[in-house]
Amino acid sequence: MKRISAAILLFNLILSLPSAAEESAITTDNTTREAYAQPISALNDADRLTFFKGRSLIHQVWVIPPSENREIAGLGPLYNRISCIACHAGNGRGFAPSTPREPMRTMLVRLSIPGADAHGGPNPHPVYGGQLNENGVPDVPGEGRVEVHYTEHSVTLSDGEQIMLRKPDMTFVDLAYGNFPPDMMTSARIAPALFGLGLLQAVPESDIVALVDTPKPKGIKGRANRVWDVEQHKLVLGRFGWKANMPTLRQQIAGAFIGDMGITSPLFPDENCTSAQEACRHSPSAGFPELSKAQLDASEFYHFALAVPGQRNAQDKDVQRGAALFKQAQCSACHVPQMLTGEFTPLPALSHQTIHPYTDLLLHDMGEALADHRPDYQATGREWRTPPLWGIGLAKKIEPRAGFLHDGRARNLLEAVLWHDGEAANAAQAVKKMNSSDRISLLKFLESL
Amino acid sequence: MTQAKWIISASLLFLSQLACATEKVVVLSSYPQEVLTPFEEAFEQAYPQYKLEILWRQSRDAMNYMHHPHSAVDVYWTPAQRNFAVLAKEGAFRKLDIDLNGLPKKIGGFQISDPDNYYVASETAGYGMAYHPGELQRLGLPVPTDWKSLKTPAFEGHVVMPVPSKVGYAPMLLDTLLQGYGWKDGWSLLEQVAANASLADAGATFISDDVGSGRIAVGITMDFFAVSAIANGKPLRFTYPEKVGYSPAHIGIFREAANLDGARAFTRFVLSEQGQKLLFHPDIRKLPVRPAVYTEKPQGYFDPFAAAQHASGNYDLAAGLMRQELVSALFDALITRHHAALKTMWKTIHQAEQKYPNDPRLQAALQHANWLPLTSDQANDAALQQSFIKRNENTATLEQQWDTAIAMQYAQATQIAQSISGALQ
Repeated sequence: MKRISAAILLFNLILSLPSAAEESAITTDNTTREAYAQPISALNDADRLTFFKGRSLIHQVWVIPPSENREIAGLGPLYNRISCIACHAGNGRGFAPSTPREPMRTMLVRLSIPGADAHGGPNPHPVYGGQLNENGVPDVPGEGRVEVHYTEHSVTLSDGEQIMLRKPDMTFVDLAYGNFPPDMMTSARIAPALFGLGLLQAVPESDIVALVDTPKPKGIKGRANRVWDVEQHKLVLGRFGWKANMPTLRQQIAGAFIGDMGITSPLFPDENCTSAQEACRHSPSAGFPELSKAQLDASEFYHFALAVPGQRNAQDKDVQRGAALFKQAQCSACHVPQMLTGEFTPLPALSHQTIHPYTDLLLHDMGEALADHRPDYQATGREWRTPPLWGIGLAKKIEPRAGFLHDGRARNLLEAVLWHDGEAANAAQAVKKMNSSDRISLLKFLESL
Repeated sequence: MTQAKWIISASLLFLSQLACATEKVVVLSSYPQEVLTPFEEAFEQAYPQYKLEILWRQSRDAMNYMHHPHSAVDVYWTPAQRNFAVLAKEGAFRKLDIDLNGLPKKIGGFQISDPDNYYVASETAGYGMAYHPGELQRLGLPVPTDWKSLKTPAFEGHVVMPVPSKVGYAPMLLDTLLQGYGWKDGWSLLEQVAANASLADAGATFISDDVGSGRIAVGITMDFFAVSAIANGKPLRFTYPEKVGYSPAHIGIFREAANLDGARAFTRFVLSEQGQKLLFHPDIRKLPVRPAVYTEKPQGYFDPFAAAQHASGNYDLAAGLMRQELVSALFDALITRHHAALKTMWKTIHQAEQKYPNDPRLQAALQHANWLPLTSDQANDAALQQSFIKRNENTATLEQQWDTAIAMQYAQATQIAQSISGALQ
C-alpha cells in the first residue's frame, strides 16, 4: 500500500509540467541581474518591511568588535567572508577559484576527522574545527589558505564533440595552527542560491520521505538524511545543504552566520574558536548573541519571501523537446519536477503551492569522481542531495562565473551533467549518446528553468 | 638523497613558499559589498603578491577605531569627507607620493581632493532626482528638471526625500542647496519640497524599492542608487538638476601603515584607469575622478567634468563639512519633527496664493513660513557647530526652543493663509 501511494505521488509529481499561471504568486518574471532578489507578490506592508530588514542584514558588511554599531558588529574572530552577499552575490550561486593563487571568494571547505560528533554529525578537527576559516580579526591568525589545482580530462560525446572536464585537487597552505593530520577529511562547497528555500521547507516531510519508496528506474535509489536540529534537540529530516545536512532554513542561516562569518546567534551562541585557538578565544564578542533573535527572524523571513524565477520560453519547441528528453534520460527521477507545499504558518502565502524545484531533496550516490569521502550524518562520502534546478538558467546572468556541482568544478550545465555517475550513470550516458540537436534542446530546457 | 641535494630541495621549497606568500593590505572602508568585491578581485589579480583585508566601519565608528592606539590600518578608502579632513588635520596620513597626474582636484568650482595631497578623491557621486516615467505619466506630471520643479503643488504626495540626520549622504545634498540657493531661499525650497514629500531614513534602498516599483514617482537621491538600479533593470530615469552637488569619496595612506608598498599599490590601483573603469560596473555606477576614462563610459553615463564646463558657482566644502550636524539638526526641527504641520502650512499657503494671489496678507504668511531660528552667520559659528558635533544638554535645550518657535511660526502662517482663503472668517 505504501509503495502504491508513493508511486501515485511520484507519477503525479513527474507528469505535471510547470504552468506559469499557477505559480504566479510565488514566482517572479524578472529576468534581470536582480531576478533572484525579488519578493513574492503576496507580501503586505508589514511583511515588506520585514523583508527589507532581512535584506539589509544579508547585504550588511559586518564589523569586527568592539564597535559602537553594536547591531552590525560580530565579525570573527575567525571568518571566511565579511558579508552574506560576498559569497551569494545577487543571491546567486558561487564559483570555485580558477587558479591556485585565487582565494576562495565564494567557496568554503568543511573539515572533519573520522568518527562522529555527539549527534552523529561530522567529527570536527580538535584544532581547526569543522570549517577552514581563512581570515582572522587583527591579532587572531587566519587558519590557512586553500590552493585549488585542476587536472583536466576530455569526454567524447557520441557525435565526436569533446568536452573538457576539470577535477579539483586542494592543497592547504599557510596553516597557522599546525599541519592537518593524514586522516583529515575535507569537502569544498560553493555557495548555493538563496531563493526558493522557504518553499522547500514548506514541502511536508511525509511527501519527501514517500519519495524514498517510490519505484524508480533501475539503479536509482534515494535516501533521506537525518540530521540534528539544534532547536528541537532531535534528529529530523535534512533538507538543505549539499548533503541535506541542515534540517531547517533557520539553522542553515544561523550556521552560515557562525561558520562563515563568526557571528553568534541564538542557535549557535558560542564563538567559532576551538579550545586550542588561544587568541581566538580571547578575542572580544559584540554581544551574546551577536545576531539577535529579531535579526535572525528577519533574515529567515527574507529567505522565505524570495520569489522563484518562473520558467521562461516554456512554449519554445526546443524547450519542450528538451523537457521530454529530460524525462526520457531519467533526469526527472531525482530532479523531480513538481512538489506540493503543505500548511506553512511562518508565511501562509507559501502554503498549498504547486512548485517546480526539480529536486527530491534526497541523497544519491553520485559515483567516485564526485565523492568527497566525508560522511555527513547519514550521507556517505559518495552521496549528495539532488540540488534544485529552478532558476538555474539565470545563474550566469546573476554571477557570470557561477559554478555547478558542490565544488563548482563544472563551468557550465553540460559539464555538470557529464560528471554525473553512480545512480545517475545511466542519465549521464543517455546525454552522452544524444545527437547534438537533442543535447542542445536539453540544455535549452535547463536554461529555461 | 645526498645532503647537498636535500639542502637544494629544501631551499627550493622555501623559495617557492616565499614566492606564493601573500602580504595583506589592510583597508578601512564603509563601502557596500557591491563596491568592495570588484575592487578586491581586480586588485588581487593585478597585484597577486597582496591580499586585501577590509576592515568595515561606518564613519563615526571608523574615527573611534583610528583613535585607538592599536589600530593597524594601511589605507582609508571610503565616502566620509569629514573624517578625511579631520584625520589629515591630526596628521594621520602620509602625503601621497604616487603619480597623481590626470586627477583634477576640482570638478568645476567643487573641490574634491585635498590641496595638500594627504588624501585624494577616488570617485564621486552627484545628487539629483530619480523618477519613474510610467508613474509620472499615469499621474500626468511633468518630468522634473530642477529642484524647484518638486515644490509645485502638483507633486504633493509623489516625492520621497532623505532625512540628513539618518542618511549619510544627505547632509551634503542639503548643504549644496543651501550654498547654491542661499541660506534663506535654500531652506524655503527645501521646506516646500519636503511638504510634498515623504521622508526616508534608509538611504540605500528607497529608490529601488519605492520609486523603482512606482509606489512613489520621484526620489531625491544620489545618482548611483538610481543609475545602478536602472542598469539592473529597474524602470527608472535619473536627472541632474541645474545646481549639481557632488559627494566625493577619498583615499589616503596612513602614516603608520605597516605595509606601505601594499598601501601604495592599492591606492595606485584605485586611481588607475583600470580601477576607475571599475566604477562603471552596473552594481557601482559611481563617477570616476580620472577624466580620461570617460572616453570609455557606458552610453548615457554622466560626465561631471564635461558638465562643469557649462555650470557656474563654487561650493565651500570646508564650510559645508563643519556645519553638517548643525544643519541636519535644523532640518529635523524645521521639517522632520514638524512634517505634518509643514505640509498643512504650505498646502494652505498655496491654496491662498491660487485663490487670492494679490492679498497683502500673503507676505506675512510667507514670512512666518520661511522663518528660521538661525541666520547663515550663526550657522557658521564654530562653537555652535562643535556643540552639535558633540551633543550636550545645551543643544537639547536649544532644539526645544527651536521646536517651540517653529511650531508657533507654522501655526501663524497657516492661520493667516486660512484666513485669506476664507476658511477662517
